[in-house]
Amino acid sequence: MTQALLAMAQDGTLPELPETLRAAPSGEIAAALLISALLMAIGVVGFLSRRNMIIMFLCTELMFQGAALAMVAFSRHHMDVSGQVFVIFILTVAAAEAALALGLVVLLHRRRETLSAEAWGELGE
Amino acid sequence: MPSPADIGVISYAPIALLFVMAAVFAAVNIVASALFGPRVESVVKGTAYESGMDPFGSARKRFNVRFYVMAMTFLVFDVEIIFLYPWAVSFAQLEPRSDESLMFLARIGFFVGTSVIAYIYAWRKGVFRWD
Amino acid sequence: MMGMESMGPRLGLLAPEMVLFAGAVLVSVIGLSRSAGMRRSVPLWCIVALVAAAFVSVETWTQERASAAQLLFPSMGSFVKPMLALVGVLLVLPGIGAIDRGVEGAIASGRQAFDALRVMRGEHYAFALFSIAGAMLLCGASDLIWLFLALELVSLPTYIMVALGRGSRKAQEAAVKYFFLGALSTALFLYGFALIYGSTGTLQIAGIRDAFAAQAAGPGIDMTGLAGLCLAILGLCFKITAVPMHFYAPDVYEGAAVHVSAFLAFVPKVAGFVALAVLLGTAGWTGHALIAADGVRVAYTGLPEPVAAVLWMSAVLTMTLGNVGALMQRSIKRTLAYSSVSHSGYMMIGLIVGAPAGINALFFYLLCYGIMTTASFAALAALERSGEEVDSFDDIAGLRVRHPAVAWMLAISAVSLVGIPPMVGFFGKLALFMAAFESGQVALVAIAVVNSAVSAWYYLRLAIVPLVAPPSARSATVVSAPSRWPAICAVVCGVGSVIVPLAASRLLQASERASEGYGAGSAVAGDESGPKGSGGLYTSRLTRP
Repeated sequence: MTQALLAMAQDGTLPELPETLRAAPSGEIAAALLISALLMAIGVVGFLSRRNMIIMFLCTELMFQGAALAMVAFSRHHMDVSGQVFVIFILTVAAAEAALALGLVVLLHRRRETLSAEAWGELGE
Repeated sequence: MPSPADIGVISYAPIALLFVMAAVFAAVNIVASALFGPRVESVVKGTAYESGMDPFGSARKRFNVRFYVMAMTFLVFDVEIIFLYPWAVSFAQLEPRSDESLMFLARIGFFVGTSVIAYIYAWRKGVFRWD
Repeated sequence: MMGMESMGPRLGLLAPEMVLFAGAVLVSVIGLSRSAGMRRSVPLWCIVALVAAAFVSVETWTQERASAAQLLFPSMGSFVKPMLALVGVLLVLPGIGAIDRGVEGAIASGRQAFDALRVMRGEHYAFALFSIAGAMLLCGASDLIWLFLALELVSLPTYIMVALGRGSRKAQEAAVKYFFLGALSTALFLYGFALIYGSTGTLQIAGIRDAFAAQAAGPGIDMTGLAGLCLAILGLCFKITAVPMHFYAPDVYEGAAVHVSAFLAFVPKVAGFVALAVLLGTAGWTGHALIAADGVRVAYTGLPEPVAAVLWMSAVLTMTLGNVGALMQRSIKRTLAYSSVSHSGYMMIGLIVGAPAGINALFFYLLCYGIMTTASFAALAALERSGEEVDSFDDIAGLRVRHPAVAWMLAISAVSLVGIPPMVGFFGKLALFMAAFESGQVALVAIAVVNSAVSAWYYLRLAIVPLVAPPSARSATVVSAPSRWPAICAVVCGVGSVIVPLAASRLLQASERASEGYGAGSAVAGDESGPKGSGGLYTSRLTRP
């Protein structure tokens, strides 16, 4: 299959790509990048301003998805699939972090009966 | 012929219309029932609905920790499936019985093998034991 | 389907990591054994895996050198991997006897039956091995996905190690802090990676370097790429506890068990510095003429201005805030945490100076730092007071009277951390400052020297209080920890801080391998030996319209 495609590419007889595989207009990519930047910004602001641990965790997920969306947009812009491969790995790592976060949150809720990050102050001078 | 960008925006119009219709439908129903409906207040009406059974206990009851352990295990194994899709798509395009396809098979075999190790570990750790 | 044929040797290059993975699986299974003797042998297997990985890493470097040619720093692993494995052996020792102490005691006395869900020793050591393997994997990173996954492999296990290392509330609070800030930093450098990808159109490190070189030949690296580099540096500052992501360090090091703090002070830092060296290497340092893909020669005049400025400010602030913070602490663990922050500041000088001299000095310093800092944490792990960790200066007052060996080791490590001549810390600083001086960073060296002088104040307190001060009421109740391994580790590291300088010149030579070959593999148009398109597992490009 690969060999055949390469041969066709050399002869110039490669069939024209369907529309979905051609480079997207730059306006759409700009829109996707804008949304990814917004996701990132909302995530950072939420992370710094909210004190509920679940919300804080959701904010880190927002930031991850912002980065993933930027990857996909740039991948389309450069017509290079590796950015999309990266997104799959980001999703996996995000799931692993989610499992870890849930474990920690459950553990702490058991001990403190609250999810507020301000309830802990045993560390520090 | 409109440019692809225009098609992109216009093609979302039915979805916007759907949202508007849904909002109007919900608003009309709530307002109408508040205006015309009869009102009967009773203790039974105020209780939580649990598919016809009498509700008992508090909703803030603690769940067994096994549920959480199980949920986390599921989460991690579930996401591993994501790697099988791109693999399956590219595997179908390979020449059957070529060295390349064997290599692909070996790689996914290794990947699934690592998941099996994790599974055996979770089993030995007692994650699936329910007593 | 490029890279298919080069798969074999590339896997061979990862042999040390595979040894560690196998070790981690073995250790986590043995840790679940019903026999207490088997469970006790877990640290032994851990050490066997680490020593084997050290041998294998030296061996693979001599055999597989050619297949590493496509990396930015082809020989970095040959110094960093054995260093990680050998310091890793030292980091295993302080935890022996501390992990699972309560549960194992209850099982031994028959108060409790064995329950696989309650023992954690196997997991703890398996996570340590995974984390070290992640740091090793970073040396072979040929693209950003690899870099990202290896960084996560370093940090995810450490979050769990902090939470499990000690059954107290403090440890859990520390774990939550560490985890959430770690997730934030991950998101930051991930976004940075996305921007770098957007600027260069490739995820391969060698490709990014070529793209940056091409941009630098024209109007300079574009805004997207610069913003990406700065965000990635910011995120990685968390791993090396550098300003502005340093503030978690004292709380987390204080809350975590002392052997886990020792681990946090070394392994994630090595990982962070390797990742930073690779990332900055794509932009290049002074004195490297890179040749862009279209054949234009680009003589680098240094790191891009904004990146250099960010690094410079971060380095100065890190060493200063670290030392000032340490002056005001009453807890020994917090003092050591601030000290580790300040050492990161010194090491960032190496990043600014760059390859080859700065990077070599940086990795030599990491080795020295690993030995000294493990000595001080292990000395703390060797003591306890009514079942609790020893953590205040009162506890160690006059320690010499009842625990002379530990007191001397604490003093030696403190003197070495200041950088006083016969000790290993002096040679680390000498190499680093010389490299900076020769590259003209005089201001940076001056600030670092003043900082070292300031640091002497609190380090000497750490040396004088156990040796000279009279014993206090608190220190009279301090006893040795039940296991003698932490004390043995402290003695090994302490003696090491004195003996290693004898081999300093050989080790410095070895550390020169860290940046050997940097800039040699830059792409020349039409050159088959160049890294263009030699590596990636998934370089299938879609066609441009």
